[in-house]
Amino acid sequence: MIMPKPPVRGEQSLKKSVYLSVVTVSLVFGLLIAFQFRTSSSISGGVPVDRFQELTIEKKQVELDNAHLEQEATDLAAKIDEARKGRSQASDVLGSELSKIRMYAGLTQLTGPGVEVIMENPPEKDGSPSFYSIRDEDILKVINDLRGAGAEAMSINGQRILSTSEIRLAGNHINVNLVRLSAPYRILAIGKPGTLKSSLEIKGGLVEYLSANGITVAVQEWEKINIPAYDGSLRFDYAKPVQRG
Amino acid sequence: MNMWLGFWLGIFGLAVGVAIGLNVPVILPQAYAKYLSVAALAALDSVLGGIRAAMEDHFDNTIFISGFFSNALLAAGLAFIGERLGIDLYLAAVVAFGVRLFQNLAILRRHLLKK
Repeated sequence: MIMPKPPVRGEQSLKKSVYLSVVTVSLVFGLLIAFQFRTSSSISGGVPVDRFQELTIEKKQVELDNAHLEQEATDLAAKIDEARKGRSQASDVLGSELSKIRMYAGLTQLTGPGVEVIMENPPEKDGSPSFYSIRDEDILKVINDLRGAGAEAMSINGQRILSTSEIRLAGNHINVNLVRLSAPYRILAIGKPGTLKSSLEIKGGLVEYLSANGITVAVQEWEKINIPAYDGSLRFDYAKPVQRG
Repeated sequence: MNMWLGFWLGIFGLAVGVAIGLNVPVILPQAYAKYLSVAALAALDSVLGGIRAAMEDHFDNTIFISGFFSNALLAAGLAFIGERLGIDLYLAAVVAFGVRLFQNLAILRRHLLKK
C-alpha cells in the first residue's frame, strides 16, 4: 500500500485537514454528480440539452410570431369592419343613384308643382263631327313647348311620357306608349307653373294657334300634381351599353 | 490506516453527497445542466489528480482543494462564456480534462501495478 508521505510537522492537524478536504471534495463531487444525474434524467425521455434549447428558442420565436399574427389579425378585422362600413355606404350611394336614375327614366311616381293642360275637340255641330280634331302633331307641339319651358315630367291621360314614348295618330285615337287615348287629352307637366303656363299662352303661341282651329285648350296651374310612373315594360332588344375602358 | 481511512472517508463523502443531491427537492434548471456537467468532469479530474499526487507522495492539501474548486469553476465559466459567444467552448474543458483524466488514470495504474 502506498501511503501519503508523513508530514514533518503538525502531523496530526495536517492529517485531519487532509481528511477533511477529502470528505469535502468527495461530498461536493457526489452532490455534483447527483444533481447532474437528476437534471439529465428529468429531461423527459432523455432529450439532449441542445435539442431542448433549440426547441426553447423555436418556441420563443413561435410565440413572437403568434403575437405578430394576432396583431395582424386584429388589424385585418378592423380593416374588414371599415370595408363593411364602406360597403354599406357604397350601397347607400348606389341606392340613391338608382332611385335618381329610376326617377329620370320615369319609373317612379312624381309629385310637384306644375300645370294641367286639357285639350278638347271642337264641340260637335249639328250632330256631325267637327272638321278639325286634335292630331298627334298638336300634342307633340304642346309636349315640345312644355319641355322647352323646363318640364321635368309629363303624362298624357295617365300615360307617362318617357324618352321612348311615341305619340302618334291611329285612326280616331292617339297612341301613347302603345295605349290608345282619346279626347279630351289631359296633359300634366311638373315644372315651374308660371313658366310652363306662359310658354303655352304666349302671344302667337300654341294656345292661340289651337284655339284658332277650334280646339279648346285650358291651362291650369297647380301647387301639386301627381304624375304616375310608367307601368309598362322596358325593352332593349338591340341596344347594348358600350363597354368603356 | 491513513490510506484506507482516506479512501473510506472519500467513499463516505461521495455517498452522503449523492444522497443529499438525490433528496434535495431543488432541481436545477435545464440551462445549467451543461455547466454542471463540465464542472463535474473537472472535479473528477481533480480527484484523480489528488489520488495520483497521493500515490507520488507529494500530495498538497491546499493545491488539491484549490485545484478542485478552481477547475470546476473554470470549466463552468468556460461553458458559460462559450454559450454567450456562440462557441462550444465547453468542448475545450471536456477535451482538456478528459485527456488529463486518462493521463492521471494511466499514471495511477502504473503506480498500482509497479508496487
